[in-house]
Amino acid sequence: MDLIDVYIYEVTRRLPIKNREDIGLELKSTIEDMLPDGYTEEDVKVALGELGNPAILASGYNERPMHLIGPKYFDIYVSLLKMIVPIAAVISFIVVLTKYIVEFDKGDTVLNVGIVVLGEGIWSVIHVFMQVFFWLTLTFVILERTDQSKDKLPRTMSFNKWTPEDLENIPYVPKERMITKGYVFASLLWTSIWGTVYFNADHLVGVYKNSGGGLEFIMPAFNQHVMDSFGPVIIVVLGLEIVFALILFINNEWTKKLAILNTVRETVGLIVLAFLIVNPNFFHPEFLSYMSGNLEMPEGQIRNYVIGATLVLYAVSSIMNCISGFRKANR
Amino acid sequence: MSHLLDSLSTELRRGTLTLAVLSQLQTQQYGYSLVQSLEKSGIVIEQSTLYPLLRRLEKQELVKSMWDTTESRPRKYYLLTDYGTEVYEQLKEEWIKNSKELYKLLEGDQRDGFN
Repeated sequence: MDLIDVYIYEVTRRLPIKNREDIGLELKSTIEDMLPDGYTEEDVKVALGELGNPAILASGYNERPMHLIGPKYFDIYVSLLKMIVPIAAVISFIVVLTKYIVEFDKGDTVLNVGIVVLGEGIWSVIHVFMQVFFWLTLTFVILERTDQSKDKLPRTMSFNKWTPEDLENIPYVPKERMITKGYVFASLLWTSIWGTVYFNADHLVGVYKNSGGGLEFIMPAFNQHVMDSFGPVIIVVLGLEIVFALILFINNEWTKKLAILNTVRETVGLIVLAFLIVNPNFFHPEFLSYMSGNLEMPEGQIRNYVIGATLVLYAVSSIMNCISGFRKANR
Repeated sequence: MSHLLDSLSTELRRGTLTLAVLSQLQTQQYGYSLVQSLEKSGIVIEQSTLYPLLRRLEKQELVKSMWDTTESRPRKYYLLTDYGTEVYEQLKEEWIKNSKELYKLLEGDQRDGFN
């Protein structure tokens, strides 16, 4: 096989079909010009060495870029990736968590389920990351190759060229007043956990006993009928928390208005909790008698202690949360 | 250090290649003769850069090409178009102006060095 022909093939196979023949002929005549009369194979190798790597030569002829995403779109691509991946990951983790808590089987132990949730949660986060990464990258790769405009200037998030006016749309937030994404995700996670636990309390919250093979659920602490009768109110509270988290997410800065909203949310939560917990049938009678047997205390006293401690602790943490909101807003 | 110097001077040269090629195409040339005439003037250009550049110039209508099949081997000749000549003259002026300015800048630098 003639080395020259192989070299030309190596270049032209990387080119669009319509250009192959012409560039092939041109290369052949050029290479022959480079060679002395009566050339040897060594001469051919020297000449081809001067022409260099066929892939580089071909990329010179090609107008297509030799990169997936160039400087024009790279910044906006990375920004979008950083924005979408955490949101998608947290949502997928919450979905897995909710699914397992809802499907929680009485025979299973909390520890086992916890391990499964963690494992599958991590797996689903990886899965979501790969999906987002793949589709976003593909979108930008196509964009890079279909963009007909000549200028190569990097684009901003609005897909236009940068102008000083863009600075006006940048939310500059001092560090002390910033609402971190982590805070928003943590509160969403917390909402989804307590919400699912609440509606499945009859097989999640109660007395566990160590029976050799792990923890075994013996009896529920609360009366699910009472809890379910509060259902609509609880759903309103859940909705309020989710809406508030979304508002935080959009605003990403503590303001007085947000601090007031936060106080309203905490107050509603505290009132609902108080009404729920003082309901005479809230505690499961079986649970109260079990506790009174264990602690050698009358049932009524135990109930009062639990109610008192819960309300005080909840109120203290609520007040601290409200104050912290106002303090951040005033910095 | 020398690697950095290499890449910086390659960068310096890159912008001038188009001008150098246009200057040689006032008379018609084929690919390899162009390489040789550039080399004779001391201008080093990778052949893998030159041939694609010629095609790009042709696509931009600065240069036209024709196959000469009268000799023993067919050769593709390149020549400036009228438009190409016009652009070349303007680019040449631009380059001379730029290099004068830069020269002044560099001369000033040297004078300061002596003080």
